[in-house]
Amino acid sequence: MRAEIRKIQEMMEGADYVTDAAIATSVHLAMTLKKPLLIEGNAGVGKTEVAKVMARMLATNLIRLQCYEGLDAAQALYEWNYPKQLLHIKLEESTDHSLEQKEAAIFSEPFLIRRPLLQAISQDGQSPVLLIDEIDRCDQEFEAFLLESLAEFQVTIPEIGTIKATTPPYVILTSNRSRELSDALRRRCLYIWIDFPTFEKEVRIVMRKVPGVNERLAGQISHFMENLRTIRLAKVPGVAETLDWAQALWSLHADHLDEELVLETLGCVLKDADDVKRFKRELATGGLKRFVPVEG
Amino acid sequence: MKPRDLTTAMLRFGQVLRAAGLGVTVSEVMDAVRALEAVDLMDRDELRRALRTVLATRVEEFPAFDRCFEAFWKFQADEGQGLDGLVTAAPGAVPEAEELPGAVSATQEKQAKVALEGWEEEGSDDSEPLEVPGMSDREALMDQDFSTFPAEDLDEVARLTVLIARRLARRVSRRKRPTRRAGVIDFRRTVRANMMKAEIIELRRRERRRKKVRLVLLCDVSGSMDLYTRFLLQFLYALQNVFGRVETFTFATRLTRVTELLKGPSYRTALRRLTDVRDFSGGTRIGECLQEFNRSWRRLVDRHTIVLLLSDGWDTGEPEVLANEMLTLKRLAGRVIWLNPLLGNPSYEPLTRGMAAALPLVDHFAAAHNLASLRDLASHLTLR
Repeated sequence: MRAEIRKIQEMMEGADYVTDAAIATSVHLAMTLKKPLLIEGNAGVGKTEVAKVMARMLATNLIRLQCYEGLDAAQALYEWNYPKQLLHIKLEESTDHSLEQKEAAIFSEPFLIRRPLLQAISQDGQSPVLLIDEIDRCDQEFEAFLLESLAEFQVTIPEIGTIKATTPPYVILTSNRSRELSDALRRRCLYIWIDFPTFEKEVRIVMRKVPGVNERLAGQISHFMENLRTIRLAKVPGVAETLDWAQALWSLHADHLDEELVLETLGCVLKDADDVKRFKRELATGGLKRFVPVEG
Repeated sequence: MKPRDLTTAMLRFGQVLRAAGLGVTVSEVMDAVRALEAVDLMDRDELRRALRTVLATRVEEFPAFDRCFEAFWKFQADEGQGLDGLVTAAPGAVPEAEELPGAVSATQEKQAKVALEGWEEEGSDDSEPLEVPGMSDREALMDQDFSTFPAEDLDEVARLTVLIARRLARRVSRRKRPTRRAGVIDFRRTVRANMMKAEIIELRRRERRRKKVRLVLLCDVSGSMDLYTRFLLQFLYALQNVFGRVETFTFATRLTRVTELLKGPSYRTALRRLTDVRDFSGGTRIGECLQEFNRSWRRLVDRHTIVLLLSDGWDTGEPEVLANEMLTLKRLAGRVIWLNPLLGNPSYEPLTRGMAAALPLVDHFAAAHNLASLRDLASHLTLR
């Protein structure tokens, strides 16, 4: 393994993110090739976390753009501070400044609101990490706009001029695949799929994030989750659910799983009524040993 | 290691990936060459992960990628011949995915030939201009059932099918609904307009942005549809290439995504590709194919999507499965339209178990047996 990749893996572990070689390799390449990294995977496997950890690791700023339906360029890039502009016009009412002067005044830096993309581009010094979260939620027009911004790393504001990034940001995009992304966007990005963790990885995550949990319980929890994910569920629980559950079990002072305890705390793991029903059916027929191997 | 060799090897690997259906671009290959400098070439897994990060664009491509990687980079890192093996990899090392079409048996191929006869006549004359008059003098053809056309009319019918699809596509993409309200206030333009007035006198508004309609086409290509599929596929091909936001699937006993296969300048090429993936077994399992669609492709469907199902409703699976999946589809999609070629027959009643189960869950049920029925589709390709 390349020393740099090992270092990244160690740094990510140091920043409390349990990772594997695949993720470390992709992060390393994103940084070396200076290309955006598109992360896909099921909900709750820690996609967003990669960007946060990267920022912590590099000791740089994290700028986050949360996508949603209807998000447009003004909300992502920049906007003029309209109330402030109006107020300014009002205050200037009695002065005899020319139209050009007034215009120049209200369309200047102090009236500009920098939204995440512009922030990421106009940052001096160290390259920030730009997280474009849940890109599948925004619509296709915005995706096309984003593609352009990612290619150029420069923005033209008609009233001010062109701003070009001196230190281009590291870009991380995440997607839950609620919509198919365009090929053009995919081609521009490096790609990684984060799967549900392996048993060993999940044990390590639980032990790291919920320190009070002993190894036996962590093992049982991870076995349970691994088997639970093999049932066909509407909402397959991710690592986030595992951790919530481990936290809950820990605060109940549990040191091992039993059926009653599982049913009492099921709400941490399953969040869909049909899934709960399906699980209870499985539990009734197979017992807890269907999910957790019998010890001894 | 000469960098040039690495570049050549990577270009060849790019070709292998392309042959396996991964759309690798030259700039990605160049990135892959740069990536080689950033990883430990002796660590095979690391190399695979790195190249996959650069060259694959979705998780579905991973198995094909890994297969290609295994076939191409035949080298043993632990035997120390890593780099040599890397550059001398066999150029012809194309994994079996490429060979799949050849696996179709002779009889199946023959069947395919028969079924596809006449489809190819349309050939590559797709460069014809969009506006072609003369639809009206073809009224006789418009109302004739597809299944009864004599062979000499096929060309003309195929041409008209393409025309209709194009008109339809333009109609859908141009459609504008009147806005109920005056739109949102456009502050930027308002400030500009009122700069000298010191007060907001005149509000500038802009129309609220509407989301564009997308289409998902699911076409039954089972034996019972044979008389109609060649026309309907022509229709799908035309829609796919004129109208940008279309995803196309065919199904009989299994579901196949053919969006990429249909893209391209020539209908003939598209057909050849389709023949390769076509599912030749006799029965239709609509319910299970929809289940597969809902499981793997639900991300293509949202409230702004019209799902168009072309099928005669002969389902050999369980009607409950079909009903269940139709319900899921209805919940996801903006509109579900079922086109049934048999509906053109006045004595036809949708009584097959599958059809009866699905019918209550369909927003619009119409015929698709002649050109006129395809033309009339236009008024229904809209979201409520």
